[in-house]
Amino acid sequence: MLLQQILNGLTAGSVYALIALGYTMIYGILGLINFAQGELYMAGAFATVLLLSIYQVNFFVAFLFGMGVAAVLGVILERLAFRPLRGSHPLVPLISAIGASIFLQSLALLLFGPADRSFPIQFEFAALEIAGVSVSALQVAIFGTALFFMALLVAFVKYTKFGKAIMATALDQDTARLMGINVDRMIALTFFIGSALSGAAGIMMAIYYNATYPRMGLLPGLKAFSAAVLGGVGNIPGAIVGGLLLGVAENLGAGYLSSGYKDAVAFAILIIVLLVRPKGLLGGRSH
Amino acid sequence: MTEYLLHITIISGLYIILTLSLNLIIGYCGQVSLGHAAFYGLGAYTSALLTIHWQVPFFLALPTAAVIAALFGLGLGIPTLRLKDDYLAIVTLGFGVIVDLILLNLELTGGPDGLARIPPPRLAGIDFRNKVYYLLLVAAVVAFTLGLIYRLVHSCHGRALKAIRDHEITARVMGINASAYKISIFTLAAGLAGLAGSLYAHYITFINPESFGLHTSILVLTMVVLGGMGSILGSVVGAGVLTILPELFRRFADYQDVAYGAMLIALLIWRPQGLLGSGKISQKFSLSKNRAKKER
Amino acid sequence: MGTAMLTLKSVHSYYGSLHVLKGVSLHVRAGEIVALLGANGAGKTTTLKTISGLIKPRKGQVEFQGEDISRLSAEAIVQRGIAHVPEGRRVFSSLSVAANLELGAFARRDQQAVKSDLRELQERFPILRERAKQPAGTLSGGEQQILAMARALMARPKLLLLDEPSMGLAPRLVKQVFAIIRHLQETGTTILLIEQNARAALKVADRGYVMETGRISLDGTAAELMDHNEVKRAYLGKGYQEVWEE
Repeated sequence: MLLQQILNGLTAGSVYALIALGYTMIYGILGLINFAQGELYMAGAFATVLLLSIYQVNFFVAFLFGMGVAAVLGVILERLAFRPLRGSHPLVPLISAIGASIFLQSLALLLFGPADRSFPIQFEFAALEIAGVSVSALQVAIFGTALFFMALLVAFVKYTKFGKAIMATALDQDTARLMGINVDRMIALTFFIGSALSGAAGIMMAIYYNATYPRMGLLPGLKAFSAAVLGGVGNIPGAIVGGLLLGVAENLGAGYLSSGYKDAVAFAILIIVLLVRPKGLLGGRSH
Repeated sequence: MTEYLLHITIISGLYIILTLSLNLIIGYCGQVSLGHAAFYGLGAYTSALLTIHWQVPFFLALPTAAVIAALFGLGLGIPTLRLKDDYLAIVTLGFGVIVDLILLNLELTGGPDGLARIPPPRLAGIDFRNKVYYLLLVAAVVAFTLGLIYRLVHSCHGRALKAIRDHEITARVMGINASAYKISIFTLAAGLAGLAGSLYAHYITFINPESFGLHTSILVLTMVVLGGMGSILGSVVGAGVLTILPELFRRFADYQDVAYGAMLIALLIWRPQGLLGSGKISQKFSLSKNRAKKER
Repeated sequence: MGTAMLTLKSVHSYYGSLHVLKGVSLHVRAGEIVALLGANGAGKTTTLKTISGLIKPRKGQVEFQGEDISRLSAEAIVQRGIAHVPEGRRVFSSLSVAANLELGAFARRDQQAVKSDLRELQERFPILRERAKQPAGTLSGGEQQILAMARALMARPKLLLLDEPSMGLAPRLVKQVFAIIRHLQETGTTILLIEQNARAALKVADRGYVMETGRISLDGTAAELMDHNEVKRAYLGKGYQEVWEE
């Protein structure tokens, strides 16, 4: 039973981790909380679902398409709602992000209606047995895919020129400029990558719950933020650890305490972390 | 028609109280609270429960609701006020969500169906189901709120608050207990929101958690920003505009949130001081002053 | 030497609303080492930041190799061949030493040459090879200074701006740093150098400027300045006698 909860938790957690990576990267480079991260998650899901409803494309193509839409939307978001506000009091972009979040949610509501959409492709997922516990192949697929993206991101940041440039910009913007790094472009790239990851998370959850709807990003977005804080905002491994831990904690909480309050676990963790150890488990950047 | 106008005015009055109280937090603590509607809800439910289950007279339930809400504000404010701006905002958001969840799940509060048949106030034979009388009641509370805030701002406490807002470090050095002031403002704001909640509950006579969630918190925030952060008159205007406007454009109700979202962003980019804000606090948020600090 | 590689003409720069540079004019010829001296707050760092593009001048011009770079972004100026080692080193502390060096060459396209430059620098400064994988923040002050300078050199700059390279370093390391600076001149790099340690700076420089409250108050060859009473006084105030005669 315990193992079951943990495995379930890891699945949810890996998704939180993907979204949390978006938060953490953006916070790292800009010092702002992208309140609209959940909407980018939602955009990825909708893009894929809509594409598959209209055309018979290969699933993986649709998946990448969804990620791409989310990525581009993220870049546009940065350009319109955050860049004009650079240099102002930190609360200003936060409120702007809130505005963006509402705007995107309501726009989706207007365009697509509130009803849940099921995923256009119905997959057959086998039930597997791992260590005596029943796990669906879907869960394994989600976990694996999420891990894959996380590994890609870490490799990108550690080994590529632009990955290092993003880290440098996050550490010291002025000195990064002295290296010849175009800070605006690095910021856009960060949003691109962070949003793509959130989009991927959205698509996977659209399959998992077989439901895509405009408000689907709200709670996962907030919870992923908790996860980012838990691991240490601005810290990439932290986002991964935080996400996984939160997923597990949530499931354990729901299993052993009460399922009605499952959603509260994330916020309780958030408040506790902020009060007790604001830097998070792995130490984030204090901006 | 008159009924309709009276209704709108009453609702405006409630939002004026909410906006004024949130403005206190934004204008004098320089913080954004995204869970303000939670205090609204706590006040509403407290007042409703007191009158329904324990036959407490309304005019006792009203202040009690305010006190309870204020206590929650105090409870939230004390541990969190030393958090940085954006973290505080998220924590208040989390608080709002948790309160929402509790209201949804607790048997006492009726779950998603909420509470119904909340008794209207009764006083010396006046029937408060008559909207005119209720409007007078709300107006009285609004006047009370305005008076309270006005006197606060113009008292020596007000000057201390301004000092804290504009230059906290200096204020602390001068012996002003900034933390105590900030917590007091938070508590006061929560209490005022609780007042509004009680008024709401006994007017509409049924309540459920939906009215007190994130959406409402953000709506009130939009009113503050539109009116002008830190401006008292601005809050009144902002609340009024955003209560009346949706009624005028009832046909476009579906576009309301889209418009609000876009409006928030547009305001911050082009007119961060809102309609009437021009005081120091809006400057704190506005672009040009801070831009100048980082010559790019 | 040649015509001026870098010219500042009546540059006015602001930091926020603070008017820091009030009409600064100076020039640096190719192959020279020019020292920029002055007390704290005189505007030396702001001058360097204006040249490298972190700050845009409100009035006046900055010309580099005949081109007006006053309005260019910092990134574009790096590509023109100016490298700036900021005050306090400013290495990217959680990135490895190697990553720091690679970032120095960010603007360059010639990957092969970048690799050979990296190897060369690691040979010249073995510490960079030894600590290649360590986070730059774990290096000592002196090592970080070498890293910061090597990082700037990775850009193969024509003009190198150094802001207080000896700050916070033990005398032995200061000597090492200045030896590097002198060597750089021999290999053809032009250098504009800010230093509190006026003596060390003037010993290595060809010419110098003294700044006071946002303006150039004195200029001349290094020898002239070393002998100048004003320099001794403007710099060190009361205790100058003891410190200078060391």
